[in-house]
Amino acid sequence: MASTALARPSGLPRFRTRTVLKHVVLSAVAVVIAFPFYWMLSTAFKSFFEATQFPPTLFPVEFHLENFAEAWGDAPFPTFFRNTFVIAIAVTAGELATSILAAYAFARMSFKGQGVLFFILLATYMIPSEATLIPNFVLVTKVLRLSDTLQVQIIPFLASVFSVFLLRQHFRSIPNELADAAKVDGAGHLRFLWKIVLPLSVPVLVVVTLVTALGSYDAFQWPLLVTNSDAVRPIQVGMAQFRTEFGAQYHLEMAAATFVIAPVVLIFLFAQRYLIQGVARTGIRG
Amino acid sequence: MTRPAVGATRRRRIVQENILAYAFVLPAIVIILIFQFLPGFAAVYMSLFRWDIVQGPFRGLDNYVTVLTGSRAEEFWQSLSVTFTYTLITVPVEIVVSLILAYLLFQKMRGRGVYRTLYYMPYITSAIAASVIFNWLMNPNYGFFNTVLELVGIGPQRWLDEPRGIFELIGSRFGVALPDWSPFAADSQFHQSIIAGPSLALVGVAIYTIWHFIGFQVVIFLAGLGNISNEYYEAARLDGASERQLFTKITLPLLSPTTFFVATIATIGSLKAFNQIYAMTNGGPLETTKTLGYEIFHVFFQQGRIDLGAAMAVLLTVIILLFTLFQFRVAERRVHYG
Amino acid sequence: MRLKLAIIAAVMVVATACSGAASPAPALTSADIELSGAPIGLTLWHTQTGANAAALQAMIDRFNSTNGKGITVTLQYQGSYTQLYQKNLSAIQAGALPELAVAYESFVADYMKADVVLNLDPYVNSVKNGLTKESQADIYKSYYDTNRFAQFGNQLLSFPFTKSLFLQYNNEDILKEIGKSDPKTWDEFEATAKAATKVGADGKTTRYGWAITINASNFNGWVLSRGGQLMSADQKTVAWDQQPAIDAVTMMKRMIDAGSAYVPKGFDYQTDFGTGKATFVQESSTGRPFFVSSFKQPINWSLTNIPQKDPAKAATVQYGANIAIFKSTPEKQLASWLFVKWFADAAQTAEWAVKSSYMPVRKSAQDTDTLKNAWKTDVQGKQAFDQIGTSIPEPNVRGQQDIRTVIEDMLNAVVAGKVTDISAAVKAAGQKANQILKDNQ
Repeated sequence: MASTALARPSGLPRFRTRTVLKHVVLSAVAVVIAFPFYWMLSTAFKSFFEATQFPPTLFPVEFHLENFAEAWGDAPFPTFFRNTFVIAIAVTAGELATSILAAYAFARMSFKGQGVLFFILLATYMIPSEATLIPNFVLVTKVLRLSDTLQVQIIPFLASVFSVFLLRQHFRSIPNELADAAKVDGAGHLRFLWKIVLPLSVPVLVVVTLVTALGSYDAFQWPLLVTNSDAVRPIQVGMAQFRTEFGAQYHLEMAAATFVIAPVVLIFLFAQRYLIQGVARTGIRG
Repeated sequence: MTRPAVGATRRRRIVQENILAYAFVLPAIVIILIFQFLPGFAAVYMSLFRWDIVQGPFRGLDNYVTVLTGSRAEEFWQSLSVTFTYTLITVPVEIVVSLILAYLLFQKMRGRGVYRTLYYMPYITSAIAASVIFNWLMNPNYGFFNTVLELVGIGPQRWLDEPRGIFELIGSRFGVALPDWSPFAADSQFHQSIIAGPSLALVGVAIYTIWHFIGFQVVIFLAGLGNISNEYYEAARLDGASERQLFTKITLPLLSPTTFFVATIATIGSLKAFNQIYAMTNGGPLETTKTLGYEIFHVFFQQGRIDLGAAMAVLLTVIILLFTLFQFRVAERRVHYG
Repeated sequence: MRLKLAIIAAVMVVATACSGAASPAPALTSADIELSGAPIGLTLWHTQTGANAAALQAMIDRFNSTNGKGITVTLQYQGSYTQLYQKNLSAIQAGALPELAVAYESFVADYMKADVVLNLDPYVNSVKNGLTKESQADIYKSYYDTNRFAQFGNQLLSFPFTKSLFLQYNNEDILKEIGKSDPKTWDEFEATAKAATKVGADGKTTRYGWAITINASNFNGWVLSRGGQLMSADQKTVAWDQQPAIDAVTMMKRMIDAGSAYVPKGFDYQTDFGTGKATFVQESSTGRPFFVSSFKQPINWSLTNIPQKDPAKAATVQYGANIAIFKSTPEKQLASWLFVKWFADAAQTAEWAVKSSYMPVRKSAQDTDTLKNAWKTDVQGKQAFDQIGTSIPEPNVRGQQDIRTVIEDMLNAVVAGKVTDISAAVKAAGQKANQILKDNQ
């Protein structure tokens, strides 16, 4: 960032009312934004009768830990999570691989037809997923006969124009001297990519990884259309299904929502610095 | 070395590089071609046939006529109007709130990271899980929102089940009957007075959407603010500018590329809204939250009318494209570069 | 298999030719083949949840281990009925249909656009594998006949599976408290609901008379109970847009405005009945266990027919779905039929009725010890059973799915206060429904 602070006039006491006021506003907003999470947790611990009391109790009178066990057992959550896990890893690894290679080629290689292919990428970027949803659905169900599998949830997502553009932009900024030095050393493109470019691109790669993995975890509409059996359903479809089954059991529903949200929140708290900074950086460049 | 030998080596190297490049590029290109590029055209193809579970005869532009002016026109225009209303009540609010928050957070302060993280949490929460929570918060019988309304003296509302417009609801509180005007005929099921405003259900979905996007936009604005060079501020301060003038004359204009960017992606996101509609209201009540994204799903998946769904999808694509182009054009003139 | 069939057919032709003028042997069809004994896997798509799903699975397991023909049925839960319908539509596209699926009549009518549903007549009447005439007559006529589709040459395209009916849940404790009995007519109902309504000092209603559930099937039940019809005789236009419907909807609005009725969200009416917030709920007889589980304290309650215009000629609407078999191979089709037949046998239908709270599909089930014992504790189950004869099925013509949406939108508009002229709204809905029927011919 170019600047980190606006100049502060000198000679004034540390705790200005301004700062206090700012914190009040920011905290109030934080409370409002965090409240739905709190409400989810609080309901998850309540008994069914306490949860459906009106006016509701802000804090559970009793803590019913068994709600979590009951919700977990009421639907095949282990299967849903396993499916999502497998899909997310496959998609992330695959997309990274294809995007890195393609981005590198566009950024640092010259080849015939480069312009045309790049134009296709650009045009594709403009096509929203709504337009491709129906044809893809017919393609995978009628033509490829892949419906109700894990593969059908993986294959269409093995490449992303956004990732290609992002990485290409970054690869282009690798100083040419490094490329020349590598050429002098006799290193081919693959070596150069693996040994020099990638290590220099770790922040961007982390961003792409996290964004892709998160997208995979949150996937809903596509799996909804193409899966029929619990054996291959991912967690979001499983959650929606749980809601259809147990929607009136609000305490269980909130417990289930906790399962679905918790993994992402935990990973996020762990990796948040990368994610937020990366998004900010790429957001502006985008 | 003699000339021909040099040429041959170089040519071979170029060919090798070409082959290698294609090897690099092909995996991504193939996937993108099959699942993202060609389907765009396939959608147009499908929209030209009768396709009601099974493919039927060629019908030219008949499906578009049906959707735009024929038997499906009402639901199409209704869903378009819902989509636009939804965009209108989410995007400006999101931008204003996140800009203010980013501005407050921007000066060096303690706990900035904590706030930023907290604001960002909704963005990483899946739409399904979050919709379940908001549905519960807005439950007419036991929900927390109605508790708050009670505290401020307003009676319980039906929230996601309420098809009446918010202006109409507010008006009826004060005994004011609003004039009834709608482009749909009086006996049409879509006859909702425009003056009545968006339905309370749509407002409920909008509340979730704003909650979801604020943190993400705060982060982008923070980055944008960081890109404004300090010199401008220092120079202005020397000239005696007040805090407010700094904001309006320097910050806002120099932030416009960021604002424009945020507005674009927020709008496109709203135009495509589906997951939260499915999880919160399923397009109801009385189709007042049925965005075009949901309508397409309803027609092609719930009714099996692939032909009409494809036609609507093509129209939605055109709208998004036109809108993006329009935003670029208009904003380009307005955007001030440093 | 085809070879075997061809041989049977050839033998038959020869036999008939040789037998001269004797009475012709009944035609053998693909329903009469012998299963080879090789393992056959069938998939059944359903919507059962919780305890019902477990009960169904237990019965399936028993079928799998006792059928002796190598048939294995696998259950797949597909969500709500609407979701099941959508899944089926897309499975038709994908050419990936299961062998069996639970289906409402209106679903089957739509699936027939692609002509994928198996005609069950050859199987029911099969010499080897069918049902005897007595057995066919033992099945409740209204459950059975609704699976016959006039639109498709009167073929039997599905079979009764999970049937129930639209009844009224009454909180007897509240009725006792206000000194009233179960309302028999709609007028009594309206008056009793009003009497049951309790408003606190702060103006908040603590107890309502009626918790309304907005559902096209419920609407059909109201129409039938007021002496109305659902479809015209030729099945080409609707008949529910007449005075009975107008009276029903007008009464509903009147009661909401008077504060004796309200519309809770989703399944909250079960919770409200359990906490004593609602005195009357009109719902499927199958909801019994769900209601009981939301009782905060034990409640005395009963299950009666919904109020009637003429209690002597009681009529309500039939609930519940059937099971359809999709066309596949002769082996799988026969195996599927054998499962359906097994499930509808007296012993199984009684067991299913007890475990799931659905109604048995056969009259003879009431003679089984299973049901007799169950009814000692499940008093309301017997009360529901006694009303089966009054239940009338909904129309099974194509387009009925969309007509349901038209009806529900009309009801929701009335509830939201957007309708000033109910009579006009009902008529307008009727016109829309007729248009849908025409479009779907």
